[in-house]
Amino acid sequence: MSEDNIESVDSVTDEKSFSENAPVTGQGRMDAAWGSRDGDESATAQVSSNQASVGYVFEQIYKPWNGTLNPRWMRNWAILRHHVLGIFRKGHRPWGLPTKLFMVLVFIASLGDVGLTLLSALIGSPELHSMWGVNRDNLYGHVFGFFPRNMLYYPILAALLVGGIISEDRYHGTSAMYFSRPISRFDYVMMKYISVAIIQAFVVLLTLMIYYFVEIIAMGRGWAWIIDTFPLFLAAFIGGIILVITYTSIGLGLSSVSRGKFFPGIGLVAIVLGSKTLAVLVSNLFERDIMYLLSPYDCLAHVGQALVGTQTTYDQYSWTWSFASLVLMNGFFLYILSSRVASMEVTRE
Amino acid sequence: MSDNEYIIETTDLSKSYGPHVALENLNLKVRKGATGLLGPNGAGKSTFLKTILGLIQATSGEGTVLGHDIRTEGAAIRSRIGYMPEYDALNPDMEAIYQVKYSGELLGMNPVVAMSRAHEVLQYVGLGEQRYRNIGSFSTGMKQATKLACSIIHDPELIIADEPSNGLDATAREFMISTLQNMVNNGNRSVMMASHLMDDVERVCDQMVLLHKGKLAAQGRIEDLKDIDREIEIHVWGNASKLEEKMTSIGLEVRREGRIMRVLHEDEDTTTKILSCAAEVGSQIRRMHEYEASLEDLFIVIMENLGYEVKTSEDLLRGPVQSRQVDAPSHMGGGS
Repeated sequence: MSEDNIESVDSVTDEKSFSENAPVTGQGRMDAAWGSRDGDESATAQVSSNQASVGYVFEQIYKPWNGTLNPRWMRNWAILRHHVLGIFRKGHRPWGLPTKLFMVLVFIASLGDVGLTLLSALIGSPELHSMWGVNRDNLYGHVFGFFPRNMLYYPILAALLVGGIISEDRYHGTSAMYFSRPISRFDYVMMKYISVAIIQAFVVLLTLMIYYFVEIIAMGRGWAWIIDTFPLFLAAFIGGIILVITYTSIGLGLSSVSRGKFFPGIGLVAIVLGSKTLAVLVSNLFERDIMYLLSPYDCLAHVGQALVGTQTTYDQYSWTWSFASLVLMNGFFLYILSSRVASMEVTRE
Repeated sequence: MSDNEYIIETTDLSKSYGPHVALENLNLKVRKGATGLLGPNGAGKSTFLKTILGLIQATSGEGTVLGHDIRTEGAAIRSRIGYMPEYDALNPDMEAIYQVKYSGELLGMNPVVAMSRAHEVLQYVGLGEQRYRNIGSFSTGMKQATKLACSIIHDPELIIADEPSNGLDATAREFMISTLQNMVNNGNRSVMMASHLMDDVERVCDQMVLLHKGKLAAQGRIEDLKDIDREIEIHVWGNASKLEEKMTSIGLEVRREGRIMRVLHEDEDTTTKILSCAAEVGSQIRRMHEYEASLEDLFIVIMENLGYEVKTSEDLLRGPVQSRQVDAPSHMGGGS
């Protein structure tokens, strides 16, 4: 701005006064803006300096990657890690909080016999120990006991785990992420199956192992006792594996035919507990045990009794019938699972 | 792979679902670069994509993608391509960074490498600041960008993008298109883009494949194919009928709507011929510009007039009269 201009602006500011009748020309505001004496005399404009820090400028640069992709086992390991570690860590499969909480509760509750074994060892009471310590019946009961384990713990935990394991892939479309990568449908199903089974085994089998080893340590058991009881432990362990496999097969089969997690979960609980209730009713009313063959739990219990060698509660037929029924049940639900997964789409669902 | 090699090549590729023929004798050769895959619903685009991904077995015929046999090397193909599905394929309860990382792990990437690469690709698709947000809180555009990040985490040679701009607002669509362009031009990657939005295909792709009812309707460079409907539009002042007669008499093909005429662009002399005719009959040409068909026009022309057999650029250029009749009123000789 030149000196002349500044002077003229100043003179306007000094000489003019504005009454209420003065026309609205906008000139007054211009004067206020330009006519202050401070600074104008030096004829330099007062401008605010840019105080903003250096901003973030988005620059889209494609960066190539020259790494090598690992083979099939690494991809399968990724699926397993994703599901199993999701229970414990962020950044993997986001299991729901109720599932995680219930799992912790069931794990602690499943260690009830461990606590009582420790208690009986500390007190030194043989009566208490005979009630809670490791023996044929208690090993069977740890895995196959109906109340509370197979009524409130294991089926419900399985239901929470399998509920969305495949159905949510269908619902969210994440199946496309698997199948558009070098993952075969067999690998997809197998790793999901193993993942769910491992989490269940963590509750059913790990607690069984802890129970057995606490007995050895707390009661100071020697080799003779171990050799004597290890086959029983092994039988219960194998029975536990069959239980986990059966619940997983039924659950995953139901999950594969659904798009939500409610139906598979409630379906699994309904099949396990509903068929058991029906079989009990038929048995009581008609004194026929044949309906137990349709109950997954009763078939498991029957096979478990045969494996561990406890007194059988199913007298009207051989345990092999129950075993055959279990095989058929697993086969049926695995067939549903495989056929449904085979039809899962990549391009749209 | 050199630029002249074909990234996708099929020979008599057919796929039937029982009596329904989804793909019929497809003979395709797709070069490196960006290719648009076009076709109406039910044209066989999805079946074609699944077939070249090695997810379903072709009923007959052969095919290779990046040199791998689609019948026997599906896993190898899926390792080297990046597939961006049209529909939601993300877990809304996961944070974007972990979802992208997991998609890399599913390809066989080491978890640490996958995490590092996930940061890079999310930055690239413009989600650098949002990478630790749950996908469920993302807008449609951000979800599309996350899907793109998942598909490019392993730096694939070929990206198959199924409707990448579907459901996006103008800003997000612009970003998606420019990102794909950037991948082709600066990243030197190939893109096969299935889309209903012709503008998007036109902006990203230089080649196109058009399917209809499982058959190949057209393939080639978009520029070449668009030549089938290249005309010069003139706005005439005075003696329009005389000018039309004159131009017709010297062999130019003219369509007229009042004072606006469209003349088939035959060669470089067409403009000179129009001006000469105008000078002879005393007409003023107030406005003259070249009219180039949009991809949408091209799509309609091919679908409605040229049948559904294989058309190369040359085939299409041989039959321009029919093609130009599509949008002409019947009194101008239009209509098919």
